[in-house]
Amino acid sequence: MGHESRLDLLQGTLDLLILRTLQSGVGLHGWAISERIEQISQDVLQVNQGSLYPALHRLEHQGWIKAEWGVSELGRRARFYRLTRSGRKQLELETDDWERLSAAIGRVLKMA
Amino acid sequence: MNRHDLLLRIRGLFLRRRVEEELDEELRFHLEMATRKNAAKGASGAEAARLARVRFGGLDPVKEECRNVRGTQLIESTIRDIGYALRGFRRSPLFVVTVIGTIALGLGLNTAVFTLFNYIVLRPFPVRDPYSLYAFTWADRLHREQAFSWHEFENFRKNNPAFSEVAAFHYFFARAEGRPLTGALVTGNYFQMLGGGATLGRTLLPEDTSAPGREPVMVLSYAAWQSKFGGDPNILGRKLALHGYPLVVVGVTQPGFGGLDAAPIEYWAPITMTPLLENGLNIFGSENSALPLIVGRLKRRISISQAEADLAGWTRQVTADRPESERAARAFLRSKATVVRLSAKVLAVFSPLAAAVGLVLLLACANVANMMLARAMARQREIGIRLSLGADRKRLVRQLLTESLLLAVPAGLAGFLVSRVAIEVSLRIMFATLPPNLVEIAPRISLPPDIRVFGFMLFAALVSALVFGLAPAVQSTRADVMLAARGEFTSDIRPMRLRNTLVVVQITVCALLLITSGVLIRGEGSMRSFDVGFRTHGVIAMFVAEKSRPLVMARIRSEPMVQAVATASSIPLDGILPPLSISAGEGTKVFDAWYNHVSPEFFSLLEIPILEGRNFTADEARSGAPVAIVSELTARRLWPKGDALGHEIFTRQDGKPSPQYPAARVIGVARNIISCSIPYGPDPPLIYFPAATSKHALLLRVNGNVDIARRKLETELATLGSEDIEESHTIEQSFALSVYPFRAASWVGSMLGGLALLLTVSGIYGVLSYLVTQRTKEIGIRMALGASTRAVTGLVMRQSMRLAAVCIGLGIALALGVSHWFASHLVFVNTFDVFAYGGGVLLVAAASVAAAYVPSRRAARVDPLTTLRYD
Repeated sequence: MGHESRLDLLQGTLDLLILRTLQSGVGLHGWAISERIEQISQDVLQVNQGSLYPALHRLEHQGWIKAEWGVSELGRRARFYRLTRSGRKQLELETDDWERLSAAIGRVLKMA
Repeated sequence: MNRHDLLLRIRGLFLRRRVEEELDEELRFHLEMATRKNAAKGASGAEAARLARVRFGGLDPVKEECRNVRGTQLIESTIRDIGYALRGFRRSPLFVVTVIGTIALGLGLNTAVFTLFNYIVLRPFPVRDPYSLYAFTWADRLHREQAFSWHEFENFRKNNPAFSEVAAFHYFFARAEGRPLTGALVTGNYFQMLGGGATLGRTLLPEDTSAPGREPVMVLSYAAWQSKFGGDPNILGRKLALHGYPLVVVGVTQPGFGGLDAAPIEYWAPITMTPLLENGLNIFGSENSALPLIVGRLKRRISISQAEADLAGWTRQVTADRPESERAARAFLRSKATVVRLSAKVLAVFSPLAAAVGLVLLLACANVANMMLARAMARQREIGIRLSLGADRKRLVRQLLTESLLLAVPAGLAGFLVSRVAIEVSLRIMFATLPPNLVEIAPRISLPPDIRVFGFMLFAALVSALVFGLAPAVQSTRADVMLAARGEFTSDIRPMRLRNTLVVVQITVCALLLITSGVLIRGEGSMRSFDVGFRTHGVIAMFVAEKSRPLVMARIRSEPMVQAVATASSIPLDGILPPLSISAGEGTKVFDAWYNHVSPEFFSLLEIPILEGRNFTADEARSGAPVAIVSELTARRLWPKGDALGHEIFTRQDGKPSPQYPAARVIGVARNIISCSIPYGPDPPLIYFPAATSKHALLLRVNGNVDIARRKLETELATLGSEDIEESHTIEQSFALSVYPFRAASWVGSMLGGLALLLTVSGIYGVLSYLVTQRTKEIGIRMALGASTRAVTGLVMRQSMRLAAVCIGLGIALALGVSHWFASHLVFVNTFDVFAYGGGVLLVAAASVAAAYVPSRRAARVDPLTTLRYD
């Protein structure tokens, strides 16, 4: 787990990753979301936990995810987040954007 | 902002505690899971928890950011600030009362002046759609205002191109059963056009003015019905005699309706009654027609300039059959929505008053700013520590401003009360001091507050909160974090500079107000003792109806208390004399002059000496011979060599030889008098023409108390028959009236000056007290090093004197400018009145000494041992 191998998330990409993580439709709490992101990215992406919660609240305010209290796998009360319909649309939009952007950057990097 | 956002925000605002707890729980859960994960990796319990916290970062910033997302931060922190400020106020009630009182005084005065301004300039008349009402006048080629004949008016009313409705009226003052009433004679559609309904009976109808002499009815205003007829429920059907002609009261208007003028109209009668009420004055023929005011409702979608052009064209056509010089050349429209239309001129009239009260408010704000600053300085340690702990400066400034606003709101309310009291008291004082004959005809105006007044007050309160709150807030949060941590604040020189600026403004304004009002008061004094050049004591002016003149004259001559009787076409000091141009002959220089037709007794009655030549003879008076007596000034202007007697004087009116006296031989030279109005100063050249005692207004000289004599004569003459005396007053009353506005202005000025003095004393006192507290350590060291009590006292006094000297200098400079402005408008003001300046300067200097005395004594009592023991 070397320091060099980890990448801080780009500004704005955290929102996209959160939405993607919730795409399956299963409700997840904050901890699970951050674990999932790190796990899937094979620990390359490090979620700044300090910005995770403000981001979740922001998405909730935008109406893209909604939160409700539930019981965690360990029997503790936790706040579970779920994708809303408009969140799903937003995810598609942002995924498209991201793909276009990364493709473009990729092309530039290869050409130059 | 979408629906979710709004709901969440509302929830965050009202269920703040619950939302906070949830946030806490959510973050705690996260940390717990992280700890658990670390433990699973093999960290010990405490180490696992520590690692989790390190990974997470600071809890508080995260929470703060989550709160920011909620967006209720502003409201929450404001509520906290308000609570904090209120707790602070509870600890220092004296401070709160002083601040509120000071600001309320300033706001109150400003609101009172604004209320007046609002009444005259902003408030629309309470009639239907006032903004489409315009007064219509037209003038001939020589810019003389001309009137329609009745026939032309009727034509205009029906066929004009710009108005949808037109009414005409003229003012008519009369006494009914001894009660003076200001009224208007109106066309029958007046009430329909203005939309005024009736409380009792009916208003006037178009049928009431269908023919001359109809209909002998009148309508009272609600206010007059209440105040002058005691709200008599049986008023309808009652006959009131106006100028001896009985009219039946047929209605009372709805409350608040008072026509279209500053002074509310108290009754309305049909305009077709004019010939009967005004002794044959004819509004129906083209000859000798009255000049009624024409007001109309402009058609929609027509601009003023377009309407004026259309009306001018129309009027030109209609007056085409008149002589060339009387045909219409231009038409004018003037808005009748408010008493006076807002214009640069109106603002110029109001600006001295507005500036004076504005300055008082500025003083009040400066004082309060000082107090706030002293308070903020006392809290500097707290503020410094908060800043060094990372508090946001903007946040601190906002907190201090919240305090100012909290003080400004009650100050605004109190200020409103102050304004009501100020208006009420001023109106009362005005009525109490008005010359008696004016009191009864002076309109009982009330100046009710309305939405604009409240708006102004709110605005003024907010602005003053910013003025007195912002500077101290910015200033006190500027503290250097390093210094604050060490507890040293006094090394920052800026607060002192700001405080000094405030005091400089205060003393300067105070000096300015005091000197200026001093100059005005002295001007008023010199005006009162001014010699107008003729006898004013014991002289009564009387206007008698033409038809009963012989009877009245006989009666007056038989009255033992009447010593002498004379007549004049213009009564001295009534403020109006007709103009004339004069010259010594063809081709010589032309002067503007005034003239008066007088009987031979005029000069002896008023004790105006005839310096050269002779008086009019009785024959000349009877026949109206072409002779003239001229004033000294006239003689000097026209015949500088001093040989006026026997020369011919040529007169022209409106560019033509005057019809009555194209040329008159000078038979006498009379001493100069002031016969128009005192503030205007000495007359321009004045010419007297002879007149018989059978015409014009009467002048009577009586024995004993002139006011009693006047009333006695009025009642005795009233028993002769109908109401023969149209009006009578004493010359002394006219004199008092002519001086009155000036007196009122000097009172207002000195009252404001006194208030400013009070504020200044408290202002200087505050600054110096603070200074002494701040320099206690320094003073202690000085005393320990052997400074005498006197030296220490001197230290403080010198500070005060230095400030006062600078400000007095500034004040004098400003006062010179202001007095000069007054002097250029009012003859009796002396810009360089040494006594007024000396008095003002002395007062301000004395106030500065007095205000510095207590703090300086306190400085002298500083105990060096105690002070040096600090820190």
